[in-house]
Amino acid sequence: MTRWVVPVTTGAAVVVVGALTVFAARGLRSQGPASPKVQPDTVVDLTYEAPVDVDTVGLPGPRQPIFYRHDVHAGQYRMDCRYCHYNVERSPSPGLPSLASCMGCHLIVGSGNPEVQKLRDAVAAKQPVQWVEVHRLSQFVHFSHERHVVAGELNCKECHGQVNRMPQVYQFASLKMGWCIACHKTKEYKDQPGRPVTTDCSACHY
Amino acid sequence: MATTMRPDAAPSPAHHHHPTYHEVTRDIAATLGHPKRGYFILFGFVLLVLAAGIVALLYQIRRGLGVAGYSPPVMWAVYVTTFVFWVGIAHSGTLISAILYLFRSAWRTSVYRTAEAMTVFAVMTAGLFPLIHLGRLWYAYWLFPYPNQRGLWVNFKSPLVWDVFAVSTYFTVSTLFLIVGLIPDVAAIRDRATGWRKKLYTITALGWRGADYQWRHYVKAYLYLAALATPLVLSVHSVVSWDFAMSIVPGWHATIFAPYFVAGAIYSGVAMVITLMVPLRKVFRLERYITVVHFENLSKLLLLTGMIVAYSYLVEYFIAWYGGNPIERATFWNRAFGDYWWASWTMILCNGALPWLLWFRKIRRSIPALFVLSLFVNLGMWFERYVIIVVSLSHEYEPYAMGNYTPTWVDWTILAGSFAWFFMWFLLFAKNFPTVSITEVKEIIPWPRRREVRA
Amino acid sequence: MTDGMNRRKFLKVLGVTGGGAAAMAGCSTERVEKLIPYLVPLEDQIPGLATYYASTCRECPAGCGVYLRVREGRAVKVEGNPDHPVNRGRVCARGQASLQGTYNPDRIRGPMERTLTGTFAPITWEAAITRVVERLKGAPAGSLWFLTGNEGGSFDRLVRDWLSALGSSHAVTFEPFAYEALWQANRAVFGIDAIPSYRLGDAECLVSFGADFLETWLSPVEHARGFAAAHGYHDGRMGRYVHVEPRLSMTAMSADEWIAPVPGTEGVLALAMAHVIVNHHLERAPADAVQLRGLLQPYEPDQVAGRTGVPAETVHRLAAEFAARPSLALPGGAGTQHRDAQLTAVAVNLLNYVAGNVGRTVVFEPAASGGNGSYVGVADLVAAARRNEIGVLFVHGANPAYATPPGLGVAEALAAVPFKVSFARCLDETAALADLVLPDHDPYEQWNDYTPRAGVRSLLQPVMQPVFDTRQTGDVLIDVARRMGGALGARFAGAAPEGGYKAYLQERWGELQRELADRRPFDEFWREAVQRGGVWRDLPASPVRVARDIALNPPTPTGGGRFTAIVYPSPTLYDGRGANRPWLQELPDPVTKVTWGTCVELHPDTASGLGLAEGDVVEVRSAAGAIEAPVYLYPGLRPDVVAVPLGQGHTAYGRYADGRGANALRLLGPEPAAFGGVVRYADVTVAATGAHVVLAKTEGKNRQLDRGIAQAVTVAGIAAGALEHKFHLPEAAPIPEREERILDEVARKQREATKYGPYAFETSRWGLAIDLAKCTGCSACVVACSAENNVPFVGEAQVARRREMQWIRIERYFEGGGPGEPLEARFVPMLCQQCGNAPCEPVCPVFATYHTPDGLNGQAYNRCVGTRYCSNNCPYKVRYFNWYDQSTPDDPRTFAWEEPLHWLLNPDVTVRSKGVMEKCTFCVQRIRGAQNEARVAGRDLADGDVVTACQQTCPADAIVFGNLTDAGSRVARLAADPRRYRVLESLNTQPAVTYLMKVRNLGGEA
Repeated sequence: MTRWVVPVTTGAAVVVVGALTVFAARGLRSQGPASPKVQPDTVVDLTYEAPVDVDTVGLPGPRQPIFYRHDVHAGQYRMDCRYCHYNVERSPSPGLPSLASCMGCHLIVGSGNPEVQKLRDAVAAKQPVQWVEVHRLSQFVHFSHERHVVAGELNCKECHGQVNRMPQVYQFASLKMGWCIACHKTKEYKDQPGRPVTTDCSACHY
Repeated sequence: MATTMRPDAAPSPAHHHHPTYHEVTRDIAATLGHPKRGYFILFGFVLLVLAAGIVALLYQIRRGLGVAGYSPPVMWAVYVTTFVFWVGIAHSGTLISAILYLFRSAWRTSVYRTAEAMTVFAVMTAGLFPLIHLGRLWYAYWLFPYPNQRGLWVNFKSPLVWDVFAVSTYFTVSTLFLIVGLIPDVAAIRDRATGWRKKLYTITALGWRGADYQWRHYVKAYLYLAALATPLVLSVHSVVSWDFAMSIVPGWHATIFAPYFVAGAIYSGVAMVITLMVPLRKVFRLERYITVVHFENLSKLLLLTGMIVAYSYLVEYFIAWYGGNPIERATFWNRAFGDYWWASWTMILCNGALPWLLWFRKIRRSIPALFVLSLFVNLGMWFERYVIIVVSLSHEYEPYAMGNYTPTWVDWTILAGSFAWFFMWFLLFAKNFPTVSITEVKEIIPWPRRREVRA
Repeated sequence: MTDGMNRRKFLKVLGVTGGGAAAMAGCSTERVEKLIPYLVPLEDQIPGLATYYASTCRECPAGCGVYLRVREGRAVKVEGNPDHPVNRGRVCARGQASLQGTYNPDRIRGPMERTLTGTFAPITWEAAITRVVERLKGAPAGSLWFLTGNEGGSFDRLVRDWLSALGSSHAVTFEPFAYEALWQANRAVFGIDAIPSYRLGDAECLVSFGADFLETWLSPVEHARGFAAAHGYHDGRMGRYVHVEPRLSMTAMSADEWIAPVPGTEGVLALAMAHVIVNHHLERAPADAVQLRGLLQPYEPDQVAGRTGVPAETVHRLAAEFAARPSLALPGGAGTQHRDAQLTAVAVNLLNYVAGNVGRTVVFEPAASGGNGSYVGVADLVAAARRNEIGVLFVHGANPAYATPPGLGVAEALAAVPFKVSFARCLDETAALADLVLPDHDPYEQWNDYTPRAGVRSLLQPVMQPVFDTRQTGDVLIDVARRMGGALGARFAGAAPEGGYKAYLQERWGELQRELADRRPFDEFWREAVQRGGVWRDLPASPVRVARDIALNPPTPTGGGRFTAIVYPSPTLYDGRGANRPWLQELPDPVTKVTWGTCVELHPDTASGLGLAEGDVVEVRSAAGAIEAPVYLYPGLRPDVVAVPLGQGHTAYGRYADGRGANALRLLGPEPAAFGGVVRYADVTVAATGAHVVLAKTEGKNRQLDRGIAQAVTVAGIAAGALEHKFHLPEAAPIPEREERILDEVARKQREATKYGPYAFETSRWGLAIDLAKCTGCSACVVACSAENNVPFVGEAQVARRREMQWIRIERYFEGGGPGEPLEARFVPMLCQQCGNAPCEPVCPVFATYHTPDGLNGQAYNRCVGTRYCSNNCPYKVRYFNWYDQSTPDDPRTFAWEEPLHWLLNPDVTVRSKGVMEKCTFCVQRIRGAQNEARVAGRDLADGDVVTACQQTCPADAIVFGNLTDAGSRVARLAADPRRYRVLESLNTQPAVTYLMKVRNLGGEA
């Protein structure tokens, strides 16, 4: 009888402890910036040419109604992010380009491209394109692009990744609280060296 | 331990009509016989009430705490009241089984098993209520310090966090204590049991064969656990009392609270032991083992703690007056003569006045009287917590924000459910495990009978 | 946290960008959120930032200028227009709630016509307008009637033009509170057909003869400003205010002295004062005042003392004070419109005249707006209808079927009208009787203008797309005119080619520009007017003399009944038009603190005499009719008086109003008084019905048990050094010096502790100062707070359980009132005190509430598990728990944001879900917003950069917010004021809210 009692109990203990450790490890790991995907900074690469045909099946990130390619616009043509996301420096929300601003170019260019055709059809039908949201924060988190980009002098890619190399945009960072905090713990005010940026809850939660 | 026991052991129930080892085992094992119809009816009823409680709880979770009777400023009410009530019940169990064990008081042997079981089930019941009363039950795990990606920790300044530790510790220790105490007995009945029970006992007996080295370890383990459990009797309910004493609520913010609560806890617990023992003894025909002597001893304990509680009441009111803080005074005036006067006087009558009857030996030795008295004490102790929590909150600092509270059917159903939950476990236990410790009863059987059995 | 209503989702539905929005990955990664861009971007709209548009509040005839905060194309908040001469940037509670009219779920969603079955069926605008045209063609010119509310602007003009072009002159204006008595009295005494502007700001001695000038009377917000200026305490000086009325109204609660005369005798009292003045104190009187001696002879104080129940010496004292300083007497309001209301008004005019106030504090501008109409007008209309003289009736902005005494029989009369067109926005009692309903735009969706008073032309502009398929009535009328052709067509064809009402409006403004001799091109003039919210100029006062022949018809003796019932306008619901705004329904009445219903106010002695307790339902019966309502015991009444507020007892008007409370108008007789208004006093009997209810009121105890919650001093007291020794709890032993030291030490350590690490740089500590000498209890801040912070309403049943959610509550305490001592009422706005040493913080097991670096008690809603310990430990009881889920439609029983109400949600504030604690955080979203702006601009915050919602709207400017550590800030200076105190200071909670004691001027000295 005693023979199997001991192994059973110890076994149980091992399982419990192990579970806890794994759990803890998971929790702790996701505190650091999730950055296995970081690629070398290639923004200065003036010769970059986005691949012509892309296998959309294998691409990470949600499938969009129109296969809009950031790697072509922001990468190959090196359009400034702020051309489309025009509010990023003056408002908490970066702003989405209105279809009118797309048509600014695509009235002329891109004929024959089926995706551009989708755009033109949408405009003709006065039906806004329903983009699928990639980066989402909860409604109880208040994040200001303006402050991070202007005062914080952050580059878009620090949170959004190398969008200019993404045929289809995917969520680059976890956007979990641990991830925000991890960064906030390292940064300082640009104009006041030594003054760490806030980690106060009510900076984002109110 | 067996060796320490001398033949002229202190007044033992087994003295008058000495059962033999064999008889003890037989009688007690008999309590585990196939239950009769009454048992099933009772059990079914208990399950029914429990089901009702569960339904009420689910409804509350679905719609929100609003379905309970809360009306600000009374933000804590029946649930916290019942939590404290059950934690209190738990205590005497540990007192009897652990402290009296260390004091080597022999009369405990035949009652402690029931008390210990009661402790475990009471804590199991109590532990539910902090969860039931949470606004967002589904985030209850945030109350535990566990590593998480947010890097957030719990607030160790908060008495509620202390509570989490106190109650969970108490549950762990008392459960271990019960299980360990059961080992030899379970082994004893294992050898007579059949079918699924055999399997159950085989596992719970943890391979007990009664070998000397096993006894050695067993006695040590039991001793250490008793030593470990003893301080908890004081600490746990002190921590619970700090949930209130650490606040600034007039009527809560009192230094006497810890001892006051501990005494009250043991008081209510002893009452509950009596409430359980009386019917148990009858049904299981354990008159030979649980005798009037036991009840008298219990009632002495009841008398002692009752006096302490009564004293605490006096001190509370005295300090409220002597302290000279008009707000404190107003609170206690409201307690005695305000809208809730009936609750306060129920508590004072049941806890402060009735136990004085126990000064009379007649009553101490009259089992029916004790049974009735114990019921009153249970009632009174529930009201004590109700008065402390609800009445104090209803009359705080801001006059414009004062207001009264009345429970709804949800409060009552969940309260009833908690009793059902407790009795469900107790009934299961009573029919599947010896409610009187075979081993320890045997230990106090005088030598002659033992020898006779040997022969 | 809440996956239910969160405003950002609606934004997406609305087809605007939802940048920086959605629900957390943790909660709902699975659910796919759509981002829907503009087709063409809106001009002057930046997603994520607010845009402000100027408009005008049309909740009452006062016509305050407002700014509407617009986010992503939807108005989310009303704030005052700082330039506007009427309200100078402040708005009352009704104004704050006006957007709930715009987004009311019970608004009529499109044109409807009555079918043969008697129910309404939707119809296209095209068909509807054709229907109107047909009917007009058929109807004889004389049989066209047009009933409007007080439009007081170009729309009024349009209606008259339109009718006259059709050959009819039956334009009737009906405003329930038309103050007919005042108009009559001004004609009689000064021969002027106008309401003067009362300069409260210049009156050192103010006597109100029943005017509730801080609630509904004429222009409450404007009055509040003036009153605060004159009656607020400024280093040793303050005005004096005496209120004369049988009931202690909210306005009267701010008075230094309350005189409760026999009901209906305010006028006699005023005349007695005038008598004393013309005989003894002529210092400031105009030359011809003496000639009034004859007229006033019968009103010698001793003579009238019997009738008024006010001793002669009181009259003499008041008269002396009144004549000694720049003073002002105010004639009765809607709540004191008894049979002798005109006598009151005449008497007050005479009193003001003999005291030399006319031209000083009572100023008649030349062309005042006619506007208000009168009750007689409606009576005539009803008579005409009964005589079948009305073929087609148009109703706009008026609800006579509800707002007139049932005895008048509006409903029956309308039944006799063959074709009735209603332009109502909600299906109110009158619209429910119509044959055709052509819903008008909400004021915030339309072009229009309004003239609050002479010299002020206030503009309304559409601040967003219409919520429903409605059309502006002006456009409809002009459209009809075009289709009619003929004279009517001609009248508008030339005027506004295709322009519709906006063009018509601009014509009127063209005229105005010429009138103002403004040489600029019209577009420039127009653009500036739209931006500012209108044009205004000061007009010279026109001199007035008292008429030679004034007849004082003797007051009518009070009749049979056991009690006199006072039917007074509700400060929250006005005449009842506010009843479909849940915020106003849940806003506690400033006096009774009762929500969501009607209550009958009885003096406690009276009640005990009748064997009645609070909550007992009684039947109040007059000759005209009866109502049933629960009793509220109110010491602020003469024992021979019962008071009932107007505004409830709707039989239509949407889910929030319908069938709620009792309509006090049932007690009133239909026949107009001599001055042409409704008589709002009635002789009644009160009888118990045996029923009993729990009043849904937010008040616990109405006495402060000597706890110094609401503290007050007298001017004399201050002069005598009452402020030197600070308040201590009576019989509380003084804290030993040593313990004092220890406490201070602890406090200092705690302050130090918040200075380490990242906190070391944080210098600000946000604080609030509330001047109780200015606070009038009007409760505007309460609604403003709810609007800014997405505070849900919880409904009557929940309030009855004291589960109201408003983050700021106006506590009302009584003092005195015993035999021989005057009753005094005090208001204390109670909100989170943001304690420096907060009891709520240490007890939270999960740090959901904690101390922020800038000294707030932060509340992270998404972290809260709902133990509610913080609330138990909060001495001020300012934490509010979400007992149910008000934020999701899953639970319709408690859902507070019924579509489209949810468009009101402030996107900057989390919508709280079931089971979490919430509370005031000094509008932390505004603080963070301002901090972000400052950071981005690379500057520091300046005093005044952050304005909390309550401060922004406070009509009396009693609330000041700012940084306590900045010695120069307004709030820091106030926090050092000698009148300062903190509530329950002895608990060492170190609140950031400083109260300045109420000051009472008991006369004589100051």
